[in-house]
Amino acid sequence: MLVNLDPTDARPLYLQIMDEVRRALVVGTLRAEDPVPSVRELAAELVVNPRTVSQAYRELEREGVLYVRRGQGTFVASGARGDRGEQLALARAVAKRALLDARRNGLGVDELVMTIREVAADEDTATGPSVPALNQSENE
Amino acid sequence: MSRVTVADAMPETCAVTTRGLSKRYDDEVALDAVDLQVPDGAVFVLLGANGAGKSTALKLLLNLERADSGVAEVFGLDTGRHGPQVRAQVGYVPERHDAGYPWMTCGRLLQHVAAYYPAWDHGYAEQLISALDVRRERRIGGLSKGDTRRLQLVLALAHRPPLLLLDEPTDGLDPIVRKRVLALLAEHLADSPTTVLITTHHIHEVESLADHVGVLRAGRLVAQMTRDALQRTVRRYRIELPDGWEPPRDLVVASPRAGRATREVQWTVVGEEREVTDRLTGSGARVREVTSLALEEAALALLPDDGAR
Amino acid sequence: MSYPALHQTPRLADVLREQVRAVALALRTPALVALAILLLGSALAIAEFVTGGGPVDFAPELSMVPAFVGLLFPIGVWKGERRFGTSFLWLLPVDRQRHALAKVTAGWICLMLAVLFFLVWIFVLALATGGNILGEHTVQLLPSAVIPEARTLDPAALRPIRYAPQPVFWLVPFTAATGTYLLASAVALGSRYPLRWIVGVPLGILLVSALGAAADIDWLRFLASRLLGAALEGRYGLDALFTARAESLKTAVVLSTGKTVSVWRGLPDVREWALATFLWFGAGLAALLAATARHREHRPPRRPRSP
Repeated sequence: MLVNLDPTDARPLYLQIMDEVRRALVVGTLRAEDPVPSVRELAAELVVNPRTVSQAYRELEREGVLYVRRGQGTFVASGARGDRGEQLALARAVAKRALLDARRNGLGVDELVMTIREVAADEDTATGPSVPALNQSENE
Repeated sequence: MSRVTVADAMPETCAVTTRGLSKRYDDEVALDAVDLQVPDGAVFVLLGANGAGKSTALKLLLNLERADSGVAEVFGLDTGRHGPQVRAQVGYVPERHDAGYPWMTCGRLLQHVAAYYPAWDHGYAEQLISALDVRRERRIGGLSKGDTRRLQLVLALAHRPPLLLLDEPTDGLDPIVRKRVLALLAEHLADSPTTVLITTHHIHEVESLADHVGVLRAGRLVAQMTRDALQRTVRRYRIELPDGWEPPRDLVVASPRAGRATREVQWTVVGEEREVTDRLTGSGARVREVTSLALEEAALALLPDDGAR
Repeated sequence: MSYPALHQTPRLADVLREQVRAVALALRTPALVALAILLLGSALAIAEFVTGGGPVDFAPELSMVPAFVGLLFPIGVWKGERRFGTSFLWLLPVDRQRHALAKVTAGWICLMLAVLFFLVWIFVLALATGGNILGEHTVQLLPSAVIPEARTLDPAALRPIRYAPQPVFWLVPFTAATGTYLLASAVALGSRYPLRWIVGVPLGILLVSALGAAADIDWLRFLASRLLGAALEGRYGLDALFTARAESLKTAVVLSTGKTVSVWRGLPDVREWALATFLWFGAGLAALLAATARHREHRPPRRPRSP
């Protein structure tokens, strides 16, 4: 599981970690019953206070995304997967960032949407579809 | 600049508390009525320009210097009255790059110090020695700055002290080793409940490790809050200005960036975002964008950039 | 408010043991140098004996060596230790004054062992060369306080007596070394620049003596001869500490017959020696305690408990 933290992100670190885990679920790099790195490992890898990682894992446990197997570590819960809600949340985050950027450059919403479709179409003809459609991950 | 405090202080126990701690060296004020509170289990980064009093604060906690006035307590123990007991709870990495005696070997010094700490964990010391690549047979007098620093880190961590006082712990180390040291510190925190008080110039290194920040300016503690609170209250605003605009009074602005007669400025302002936005729009400006800052930038905003202490 | 279980401070016995080890390690090089000098001296003494010279006598109260070793010992004991400022010693979880005293004690233990080694060495040499081992021997006693001029003394005025040094004088090397060690340790701990004192004071004394001898100023001469004389060779002076006054009581005199002979103006007295030693120990300990007090923990002034 690859976790990237953005130091300029306004959100508390534990929320970022939680979102990263959810993102991995949506995209499919993390699946049910997969082990997640131990608190110690992840803290060392990210150079983050272990209490922050613990907090993130605890919250995810409460939400039923993760569970702890005694003596063996923390795993992704069997029922957890990237559900529609997660995907939508991710989509909204992407849209927000795009809108922010657009506003800074003086672009309006309609202009932005139109230009996005144009650029996507250009890329498709050039290299073929590279990003799977959102609803495919539901079948895994 | 007035003192910035954010009222989300936790009513937990504090590992380190100082009240009105002051110290001056001849004419220079090192600490001025400092009320420091480091909560139990926190990783507290103490920031400040050179000579702002950071090292003095750590030395006073160890009773290596005498405070002119004020009280300092570590785990409820008065540092002046119970100096040896306090030092038994502390792992200290001093600012200076010297450890022990130049004529001793590293291995011998480790044995020497281990005799003083009944809580010394020999197995863990071995792990640290190999992780930090400390050569036992080398004489301390012949070590480089980086070598000494790594030895000092082993000495500080091996007895798993409840409190770590680290004065520029990565100073003198090359970037790869610095990363390794910080990862080691994260692991150490995962294994043993520890409170950490760090002073460092490399703020970005400890950004994700820290959960509390304190800023010393000319001996005064001008800010002390959680990391989240700092990021919440220091934001960068891109503002569109009408002609002849006057900034609202007591708006705490750090590092204003603009030329004369420009329509748009980018200011780092201290305060809750909603409040600041209201003040700005109320005065006729238009807030185009608000971005949050990395810890380093946010903290720097609280430090003067005019070269003064 | 609950705090984590506190880690213990080390026991004083463990601290002392570790200090003895560390000090012994610090003194390893000087010890080798001293051993080399001892070997050289012994070789010369044996060479002299073999070529017809006298045997080596074992007279522990006459040797100034232990006293000087005691004087120099603190240099080795405190090697590499920055006593003022952020010294490594003060970072450790031990009460600072006690820690300093522990180090001084550790050094003293090493010193006593060194003196013992030295004495055993000389003893063996004396045995090997058939010298006198604190046995009875005849000395020439001159019952007069004034040293006569050369060639004026009549041999008949000398009284030969059988003198056997009391066994308690075997302790003199140890007490002499301890006395100088205490004083030198006090200087090492109490002043930032001990060399200034160690070199400056003897120089100052020399200067005063020279001036007193050369100039005609009454009070300078008084200072030089009476005070300094008393301090060095008086009844409770330094020599009493070093050799129970055996050094200063013994002089070489040229008899009227032209022969040079060693005479004693008096014999070492146990009670006087014990009192002198006691006085010097007291002075040394007082100085040491004052010196270590400079490094004590900074206790805050008593104040009512803050809320």
